[in-house]
Amino acid sequence: MGISHKAFEEQVLALLGSLNGVARRLMSIPADAEDLVAETVVRAWRARDSLENDAAFRAWIFRILHNTFVSELRRAGARPRLESLECDEAEEEEVQFSIFEQMHQPFLLWFSNPEQEFLDKLLREDLDRALATLPQHHRVVVILSDLEEFSYGEIAEALGIPVGTVRSRLARARGALQKILWQQARDYGLNAVPAALREADEGGTGAARQAMAEATGRKDKGTIR
Amino acid sequence: MTKQEIKCEQALRQIFEYVDHELGEAERATMERHLHTCHSCYSRAEFEARLKVKLGELKKDDPDATVRGRIKSLLDSF
Repeated sequence: MGISHKAFEEQVLALLGSLNGVARRLMSIPADAEDLVAETVVRAWRARDSLENDAAFRAWIFRILHNTFVSELRRAGARPRLESLECDEAEEEEVQFSIFEQMHQPFLLWFSNPEQEFLDKLLREDLDRALATLPQHHRVVVILSDLEEFSYGEIAEALGIPVGTVRSRLARARGALQKILWQQARDYGLNAVPAALREADEGGTGAARQAMAEATGRKDKGTIR
Repeated sequence: MTKQEIKCEQALRQIFEYVDHELGEAERATMERHLHTCHSCYSRAEFEARLKVKLGELKKDDPDATVRGRIKSLLDSF
């Protein structure tokens, strides 16, 4: 027994902001995102008998959205990394990048809380740009977890992958996102990266502690751009 | 019964599950005991949680009227 037309409509309209928001972050062209949402809704209606219970609607329709996205990419000739075929084992060996570990160094802590300052200076545009730079298979787990607040179980259902894979992929995706944010901070003026770290990073020979004291003593509201 | 304790290495392995509220009750309690005694892991958890909140703020709930109108028409056609 599938979902009624009324319940289907209510659920779709309630989730439309999320569906459209995720589609906009998967597709670079807004019109394509709109088409993706429309195609998802059509496919979901046709497949409504496969919905086992109304409570699972969100993960179910996002799975249809994601599958539609992947098949659209295939049709367009792109070769997305298919979730079920990913070589996670190789990536498992990577050391995950962490902004915290880059910044949480004993001598810096004498003067301030640099990693929190970094967050304070992050702009919406910085995060938008970093998220857009992530590979699709990483971007989608971050979007579902951090923007849409899906549980790991729901993400697993939406992407058709095991919960353990969600856990490991999310950890790697966050490491990759932080690496991009860190690189952006270096490329766009460096204001979010404490001066002492910049100096060390660039191989400078001056007194790092003095630079840090100066950096943290400033009152200006710099950004990382 | 003795309460289980964890070291930093394990705490850091579970840090994302902690900020995502994916740990079971007992694991969460164990993690929180560690965080109360380890400044570095506490700061790391705080950093990851704040970054998650910042990302959450990117979410836009309202699709524009064009999208809503198109989907509404589509639903009416079923």
